Amino acid sequence: MRISFDKRQVLIFIVITVLIFSFLNIFQKEIKSFFYSFSAPIQKVFWQIGERSSNFLSAVLRARDLKSEKDDLEFKNQKLMIQLAELDKLEEENKSLRQALDLGLEKDFKLAFARIISKDISQDFILIGKGKKDGILENMPVITEQKVLIGRISETYEKFSKVMLISNKQSSFDAKILNQEECSGVIKGLGGFNLLLDLISLENEVYPGDVIVTSYLGGIFPDNLLVGEVKKIRKTDIESFKQADIEPIFDISKSKNVFVILEF
Amino acid sequence: MYKKIIIFIILFYLLALIQTSFMVHFSVWGLIPNLIFLSVVIWNIFEKSNNNFGIYQAFAAGFFLDIFSSRIIGFNIIILISLAIVIKLFLKSYVRIPFLEK
Repeated sequence: MRISFDKRQVLIFIVITVLIFSFLNIFQKEIKSFFYSFSAPIQKVFWQIGERSSNFLSAVLRARDLKSEKDDLEFKNQKLMIQLAELDKLEEENKSLRQALDLGLEKDFKLAFARIISKDISQDFILIGKGKKDGILENMPVITEQKVLIGRISETYEKFSKVMLISNKQSSFDAKILNQEECSGVIKGLGGFNLLLDLISLENEVYPGDVIVTSYLGGIFPDNLLVGEVKKIRKTDIESFKQADIEPIFDISKSKNVFVILEF
Repeated sequence: MYKKIIIFIILFYLLALIQTSFMVHFSVWGLIPNLIFLSVVIWNIFEKSNNNFGIYQAFAAGFFLDIFSSRIIGFNIIILISLAIVIKLFLKSYVRIPFLEK
């Protein structure tokens, strides 16, 4: 079998090739159908093996990509969680502002909304996210959206302020029983969220369950901010005044937002 | 010789099946390695230059590739036969592989 490409052989080759091709293509459908009929089961097996091998290989080859994809997704997840937390905060802010609007707080006072940043419960102090930059000054009253007195600003920083809660031992201010102008006293902080209504005249009748509100007398707080409820009356024969244990209305552990009264 | 041809017909039939059912799952940058093309090229490179079995082989390979592809029968036959002839002519004219000459 030696290769010899002379003209005659080439011509014969071309003619035979053309004839074969013509024949094959005229009966293309039948020929292909014949081969497919017995090849289909084998092709099916090869296809399944190929598919499985390819899936396995791509999983192996993509192992490194999967790690980076996982990192990317984790990063995105964290980002979304931050956004979600921000939305939660906004929702809460919105809720507080709505409540404040419902109570007409904005009509009575000039307010500044602030978020509680930290709570020093043992010392009866909280830190809020508004400071000098936002017009916050020392001694400004701090209330909740329900018009409940929390305390007053004790220290101001550029963007933060420290709020001394009314239960702080250094805190004292004038208060009265709701709707009883003549029945007044001084609210003193006992620490640990405990309050005492002191210097109540013996002539005044005070009962457990009476609601205590602020009095404008001392000039520290505006009138009628909710303080607490009388829990127990302390009466001694020796003293010329009586005292009452007060249960504060505010629950600092549940509060997240407060309002600072800028003007009243 | 006939035995050899039958073996190669079966081999290329199986290779065509593998090519169209198995290899299609392994594309590298969009390209699928063609086992039939590779076998024809390798056979024709290492076949003695005065032997033209590689050309018949290219015909069989092309035929089965055409059967299992959507193209007209003859497309791959022409390509593979041309490829085999070019390799043979090139090797005959320019390349000498000593151990194949023996």
